Amino acid sequence: MNARHRERPRPAGLRARLRARAAAWFKRRQGDDSLPLAIGTRRVYILPTRAGYAFALLLATMLLAGLNYSNSVALGLTFLMGGFALIAMHLTHRNLVGLRVRAIATSDAFAGEHGQLHVTLENAADTPRIGIDCETAHSSRTPVDVPARATARADIAVPLEHRGRLPLERIELSTAFPFGLFRAWTYTHLALELLAWPVPRGRREPPPEAASGGQAPSVHRAGDEEWAGLREFRSGDSPRQIAWSAFARGRGLLVKVYESPVAHHRTFDLAAVPGADIEARLEQLSAWIVAAHARGERYGLRAGARDIPPDAGHDHRARCLAALAVFGDDA
Amino acid sequence: MSVVARPHVAAVLVFGASVLLVLADSPVWCSAVALACVLWRLGVGTGRFRELSPGRVLRAIFAAITALCVLAVIVSFRTLNGLAAGTALLVLMGALKLVESRTRRDNAIVIGVALFMLLAAVLADQALWRLPLYLFLVCGACAAMALNSHASPLLGTRVALRLSVKALAMAVPLAAACFLLFPRIAGQFWALQRGEQSRTGLSDEMAPGSIEKIANEYDPAFRVRFTGALPAREQLYFRGPVLNSFDGFTWRRNRGHYYPAPPLELLGEAIRYRVTLEPSDRPWIFALDTVAGSPRRDMFMAHDRQLTAMEDVTSTTSYDAESYVRTRSNARLGTLGRRYETELPADRNPRALALARELRARSTDDADYVRNVLTWFAAQGLEYTLDPGKTTIDSVDTTLFDSKRGFCAHFASAYATLMRAAGVPARVVTGYLGGEWNPVGEYLIVRQSDAHAWTEVWLDGRGWTRIDPTTVVAPERLQRGVYDLFGSGLPASSRLLHGSPWLTKLSQTWDGMNQWWRERVVEFDLRSQLDFLRKLGFDSPDWRQLGWIFAACLVAWFAWVSLSLRRSVARVKPDRLGRAWLAATAKLARAAPARAPDEGPIDFARRVAAVRPDLAGDVRGIAERYARLRYGAAVNDAEIGELERAVRRLRIP
Repeated sequence: MNARHRERPRPAGLRARLRARAAAWFKRRQGDDSLPLAIGTRRVYILPTRAGYAFALLLATMLLAGLNYSNSVALGLTFLMGGFALIAMHLTHRNLVGLRVRAIATSDAFAGEHGQLHVTLENAADTPRIGIDCETAHSSRTPVDVPARATARADIAVPLEHRGRLPLERIELSTAFPFGLFRAWTYTHLALELLAWPVPRGRREPPPEAASGGQAPSVHRAGDEEWAGLREFRSGDSPRQIAWSAFARGRGLLVKVYESPVAHHRTFDLAAVPGADIEARLEQLSAWIVAAHARGERYGLRAGARDIPPDAGHDHRARCLAALAVFGDDA
Repeated sequence: MSVVARPHVAAVLVFGASVLLVLADSPVWCSAVALACVLWRLGVGTGRFRELSPGRVLRAIFAAITALCVLAVIVSFRTLNGLAAGTALLVLMGALKLVESRTRRDNAIVIGVALFMLLAAVLADQALWRLPLYLFLVCGACAAMALNSHASPLLGTRVALRLSVKALAMAVPLAAACFLLFPRIAGQFWALQRGEQSRTGLSDEMAPGSIEKIANEYDPAFRVRFTGALPAREQLYFRGPVLNSFDGFTWRRNRGHYYPAPPLELLGEAIRYRVTLEPSDRPWIFALDTVAGSPRRDMFMAHDRQLTAMEDVTSTTSYDAESYVRTRSNARLGTLGRRYETELPADRNPRALALARELRARSTDDADYVRNVLTWFAAQGLEYTLDPGKTTIDSVDTTLFDSKRGFCAHFASAYATLMRAAGVPARVVTGYLGGEWNPVGEYLIVRQSDAHAWTEVWLDGRGWTRIDPTTVVAPERLQRGVYDLFGSGLPASSRLLHGSPWLTKLSQTWDGMNQWWRERVVEFDLRSQLDFLRKLGFDSPDWRQLGWIFAACLVAWFAWVSLSLRRSVARVKPDRLGRAWLAATAKLARAAPARAPDEGPIDFARRVAAVRPDLAGDVRGIAERYARLRYGAAVNDAEIGELERAVRRLRIP
């Protein structure tokens, strides 16, 4: 139903078709990858850049002039710069070879915003690797320098246009260092995807009773919850929940846990959202989730076959929004 | 300087350097415009001036200025197809590009223009002293390319320069191999017009005073490298323009006075040598008297054995020649030749004509007359001087009877006049006598100051015979150069250079280096290439062999480069504690899924314990001990030893 929304327009034109064929060939040749991934020579390709072709033209001119006028100095400089270009090719190639992709994390985002790919690169060599560019088919180049014997992270911003999955078949790592005459590149085929959550749009106030899945109506007020104790900090916990007084006493990062009565749980149900357009209904659910999260409420979600029990926190919010993002895919 | 401005400033500096390189080859106004642009852009790059705001108006102004500049170049050069015009155009276009350059692409274009200007500079001048400048510019351009392609804090100016120098240095072996082996072609396939320059040197006219003018010049005329020993000094007559027509004041070369050359026998041993001629903008080719034939196909020898190039010598030219000291001709000079070579204006130099008649009457034959006139010259107390004063229109009379002073031209002119007046065929030959031996480079350097004029007379049974009346007047000229004879009358700078032994040595060394550079590098051509291969042991080198050697060199170079550019990956060796723990995890890999990279020792032990409860105690003990030793405060060797023993005791059943 919403496939037309999420799928990018089919590649048209000879260029795009050729590019798709080439991509398929690269994938067939290299196979699927898994992390951590060491970039070996077999998968590094190299071609001159536009500046490189211009440099070659300059060298050809110098060669012709040197031969024409039997000008030894011009010939000598031509050969010197030609050798320089070959050295530059070597340097560019080795800047990429031996690099390791340690990890790739994704951050999903709302449609219309930018999702992020966090690519962690590791350099085991004792010389730095400068100017490693990371890009996907949907994003521009993101440069990163990896110092000697260290790791560095490239954060690639990927624009998310429509709700749904954005599969990232391959990430291209490339470099034109040091002289910009050649570009060496490699493809990593990792099964990655970014999710574009539905844009929160619609009423912000809590849903009417019908939409809250038949639970007892309740108005959330601060202080309704009962103190349940402290637990260790886990990634995704809101800073507001951290027990800063305990931290100040040197007890480490602890999180205050409250238990609210069951009556305060609210479950948003897609089936209960009025309207004909499925996208609009998902956007309304998204708006409620965002609002509920902002208020620190506990909430659950029911969308089609997916039923997420009530909970709170960043991870829960992301889980709920992800369920909305992929809604309609599993069917 | 900010990271953003750095590539721009680098490109501007490279462009500025290239403008300075072609300073001598482009008009002053072009260079001035370009250097002003460079200074302004440097100001913008370092934040002293404001950037122009880009816009349509500005673009239109630029288009207009560009058109104006092209027009100006066309007007001032009347062509665009010329090295000088092309250089001027490059300078202007580069400067304009500089003004509007904002992006990396613009910077790259400016760097490219700078490299094209380097090419123009190289085509204009291949002198040794400019080589460091060329290399400097290449290094700068490469560093600018590096800076321009990355805005990284790790890539500073110094790093970029070091990278460029390293890459260029590694390219040197390949460049040398290419230089030696890359197939050269003979001749040009496209000719550009070259700029006009006036140079001093001998011309095809000789009036009293014309040689003295040249003799003040310390510039080298040519250099000669002999295959064998240096010939005796009194044989070092380098023959140039032969003058056969006299109007009483000026000797000229009359091309119409052609007659078949009488056959000539060359006697004795050949002297073989190679001459490297400085550009003179004249077609004269100089060779030791008497040259066997034309040294090159684009030079020809006239009936009077004068060598001429097809075109003016505008660049350094080398040729191999062969000469013989002794010659003989039994033939007779034809009537035409006799008429041309005895022509004399009857109404000029009356006293000289009278003297000739008188001396001829006293002589038995032509040979006797030649000797008698020389004796007469010696007896007159003539003075050999660089400053003989002005002569009247009857120049020979003035020299012989009034002033009694003269330079070689005066005496040669007078002697030839006396010969012709008595019906003995004679002509004036100009050229160079002597030279300075350079012990560093082992060659003879002949300077403009060695310019000389002498005569040749025809004697039946001997042929054309060289008679140098100057040697009778001033015998010392044969052994010493003009600089030694008239040191005081010469320009101070040349005198200084010539006077101090230390400076002489220095200048000889420098000249020797330059000569080496010219002979071995600048003039390296197809023939030198084949010579080089023969030296390597190839008897009959051909293109295929050249190709094979070249390929072998290329492969060797690539192997060397790949090896030396290998990245050294520092392998971190685990310490004793780490080794013990790694041994434990290696053993446990048989019992449980391997430890994940981010899994701590305690977590790992817990996971192993869940899979293999029988190992739980041992594993927990090892893991806790390791964690305590690794992350705890104090480490002691005894405890590490205990951990090692525990690991050794660990058995996976």
